[in-house]
Amino acid sequence: MPRTFQPGDTFTHVRECDRYRPVYYAGASGDFNPIHIDPEAGKAVGLGGNILQGLCTLGWAVEAVGNFVGDPGRVRRVRVRFSKPVRPEDTITFQGRVTAIQDGRLTAEVSATNQRGEDVLKGAVVEASIE
Amino acid sequence: MALDKSLIGREYGPFVYTLGAEKMREFALAIGGAQPGAGTPGEPPPHVSPLLYDAQAAKAGPYGDLIAFPSFAVVFAIRPFSAALTDPQLGIQITNVVHGEQELEFLDVMRPGDVMTSTGRIADIYEKARMGFIVVTSESRNQHGTVVVKGTWTGVVRNS
Repeated sequence: MPRTFQPGDTFTHVRECDRYRPVYYAGASGDFNPIHIDPEAGKAVGLGGNILQGLCTLGWAVEAVGNFVGDPGRVRRVRVRFSKPVRPEDTITFQGRVTAIQDGRLTAEVSATNQRGEDVLKGAVVEASIE
Repeated sequence: MALDKSLIGREYGPFVYTLGAEKMREFALAIGGAQPGAGTPGEPPPHVSPLLYDAQAAKAGPYGDLIAFPSFAVVFAIRPFSAALTDPQLGIQITNVVHGEQELEFLDVMRPGDVMTSTGRIADIYEKARMGFIVVTSESRNQHGTVVVKGTWTGVVRNS
């Protein structure tokens, strides 16, 4: 029985940026910019410490929608603006809402906020095939 | 010092990358929250789709093989953006760059053994609020010549 989706459907995905996540993501992705893996480098450029790679946060938004539609291979498009850095030991809550379903494709708006309620992504949109 | 707008239109690549199953797993599990410890990739957390790490389950699944987590594409598709940011003619200090915006379009799934060729160009350079913005578009084709991933990458250069 295929699952059906409706505009207005919502979903939630919570991800923790544990202390070493920027290092794990660096190894997996190859993004070893010192501001991500070295707290001192982050401090030296005025970021107050190291910050998670924005593309890891983007990956979590993709994961949120992939899990919602039940298959990561169905995600077709993602667009995000990084509005605030994610730091080690932050917990990020992704909240998605289906805004449109057209031609076998679902469009979802996804917000991502840290444990202080601050947006870390703005205007994130993820599209997935549902056929 | 403002970024040199005359570099708009400059092209980078081709960069060639072959997808390997273990690297795909490592990426999927790093996103998924695994703790690699000694030796990658660690154990998959329950919410991670077996299509991303379990070859046997994936072979019986909709794609007939393991697939890459969609944003695995950044591993190879970032190369033109990275080449632009480190272009000596722009003179950017890489630790001054933060990622501003990102768009990725996934036109097909990626399987182990796929060979991706990425090219890109500087689509725009502008200043806003005393910061420099550099926009690079990228296109990655597989070994069949089919475009699999398109990207639009925006870097923000602090103290530019």
